[in-house]
Amino acid sequence: MGTFLQLLLRSLESGSVYGMAAMGIIIVYRTNFMVNFAQGSMGMFGTFIVTAVFIHSGWPLALCILIGVLAGIGVGSLVNFAVIRHTKKISAAGKEIITLGMMMIFLGITPMLFGTDPLRLPKLIPTGSLSFGGADISYNSLFNIIFGFALMIIMFIMLQKSKLGLAIRATASNENTAKLMGIPTKTVTLFAWIVAMILGTFAGVMIAPTTSVTTELMDSVQLAAFIACIFGGFQTFYGPVVASYFVAIGSNLLIYYVSDIWGQQILYIIVILFLFFRPVGIFGKKVTKKV
Amino acid sequence: MEKKRPAVKGFSNKQYIGFIIFGLCLCLIPVLVKMGVLKTSFLNIIGGSIIYTIAALGLNILLGYAGSSSLGTAGFMGLGAYISAYMSADLGLPWELSLIIATVIPTLIGILVGVLSLKMSGLYLGIATLCVAEIFRKTFSQFTQVTGGFAGKSASFPVLFGTIKLKQTGTFVLLIVFMVLAMMLTYNLVHGQLGRALHAIRSSETAAQAMGVSLRKYRLVAFALASGYGAMAGSLYVHFVRFVYPSTWNLLLSLNILAMIVIGGMRSIYGTFIGAIIVYAVPDLILKRIPVVGSYNGFAYVFSGVLVILVIMFSRGGIAGMISGLVSKRKARPAETAAAAGTDDSSGAGTE
Repeated sequence: MGTFLQLLLRSLESGSVYGMAAMGIIIVYRTNFMVNFAQGSMGMFGTFIVTAVFIHSGWPLALCILIGVLAGIGVGSLVNFAVIRHTKKISAAGKEIITLGMMMIFLGITPMLFGTDPLRLPKLIPTGSLSFGGADISYNSLFNIIFGFALMIIMFIMLQKSKLGLAIRATASNENTAKLMGIPTKTVTLFAWIVAMILGTFAGVMIAPTTSVTTELMDSVQLAAFIACIFGGFQTFYGPVVASYFVAIGSNLLIYYVSDIWGQQILYIIVILFLFFRPVGIFGKKVTKKV
Repeated sequence: MEKKRPAVKGFSNKQYIGFIIFGLCLCLIPVLVKMGVLKTSFLNIIGGSIIYTIAALGLNILLGYAGSSSLGTAGFMGLGAYISAYMSADLGLPWELSLIIATVIPTLIGILVGVLSLKMSGLYLGIATLCVAEIFRKTFSQFTQVTGGFAGKSASFPVLFGTIKLKQTGTFVLLIVFMVLAMMLTYNLVHGQLGRALHAIRSSETAAQAMGVSLRKYRLVAFALASGYGAMAGSLYVHFVRFVYPSTWNLLLSLNILAMIVIGGMRSIYGTFIGAIIVYAVPDLILKRIPVVGSYNGFAYVFSGVLVILVIMFSRGGIAGMISGLVSKRKARPAETAAAAGTDDSSGAGTE
């Protein structure tokens, strides 16, 4: 029981990380109609900024994360103005390739700016842990779980209640109609990219202490987030986030109870088979194609 | 298909000669290296470009003609490389046999992925192939009995027919032979029934099906070709570089191969080679000489990434499309038709 609880807690923590990355992917997908394969590398870049500031300045980590958020606003806007603004007339496949090109730029520019050596980023709350029911959880993990939940809830409230959220939902349902109704869709797009960048940075900072900060930091997170988007369906905002937690639980259970070598691969095979039998996700709606 | 052959025979013969002359020109590189005009490292760089050209030709059929994106190219290349290394080094099979096995097994897996892909569209397919590549990559590092894990695996230069031991130069020529063969095969395939069917599928799957084009058959063929070319390239890689690590076959390599066909020109055979040279050789040969920026490792990726974005935004035909546009001096046509026509024009332009 203790082990199971331990696994569950660990899954909730990584679920928060996946959920943030998935939210970043989905908000960009819904407002820009493009699958952002660069989500992981954007988060990785943001994490590198936080880590570099932390190492060189010696300021407290929380302040460095705040600087990372500000930098994220800058990078997100830059991506939006330099690239995304000019992609409106490009086909879906072309947009996909553009995000792959952006991914290459982020992966290339990171070692140029921050060097090729792996960096270390400590936990936000360095010490202390709580134990109950035979499971241990560090304060940092607890913070990550609560922070993830809180951030997602704030995002959902913002999407449902605020004016900006309404604009995002309108753009997501039909961009042209939204434009005709006077919604500044360009601002919505800009906001989506900034949010994606900041969420990516948060996800990176949360996962960084468990490993080292390298260009591969977010590879598995990005894939997990995509898997969550598949299970949750690309059509809703909540689906992928809810699915993130299930993906985390599923993959941890597979790795622990089935095989620590093949668990991950089994998960990916399940995903592919799932796509075969249910191509639009659990919460997704089937879109009828016209000739 | 057989009936239509004679009509295009004369033309394709001319194309064949073009490919062969192109291959012979590349064969001059080892000669120039021997004479001391070029550095030995040049051989490695161009050899690498040739290997990636073969893999990219396969992806070009899948992405350029069939319109299905795949992010799994690196995985299939790696699979081919590991199977080939295992067969020839551990089991002691002759090089030819290991090459065939290393091509056939991944092709079968590619067909399987193709079957699964039939129900998926666009973005889901990209993610599914990403999962496939990740399965391979994880397996390469963890299935240590065969792959040697993180320590890597070594192989030797090919031994032809059990007697002729090749050195680096010989293997380089062998690579050229394989590339020319791959180019001929690709040319033949895409200018026949397959090419036309794939064009139809790319424009509209539903319309193509309504006209009697079997989506299942041609998607599977495209997937089989993409994975088969990739695996063959991987097998050639391991016998040319003689060493293989699991970390080589990551997403970045798949992205690089994608960049090659986007930059060089989708649906263009010579364009694929140009793209491979730009993405793989230019960073090594030219960009590294640029002061300050050039000394950084990541600059090559930034360079290709920026090029990819620019090509998608401004010229869908890639460099081959631009060349053919200059040659034919035709004024702005819709991007799609220019790209589709780009194959013939650019292949003519490339040989000059």
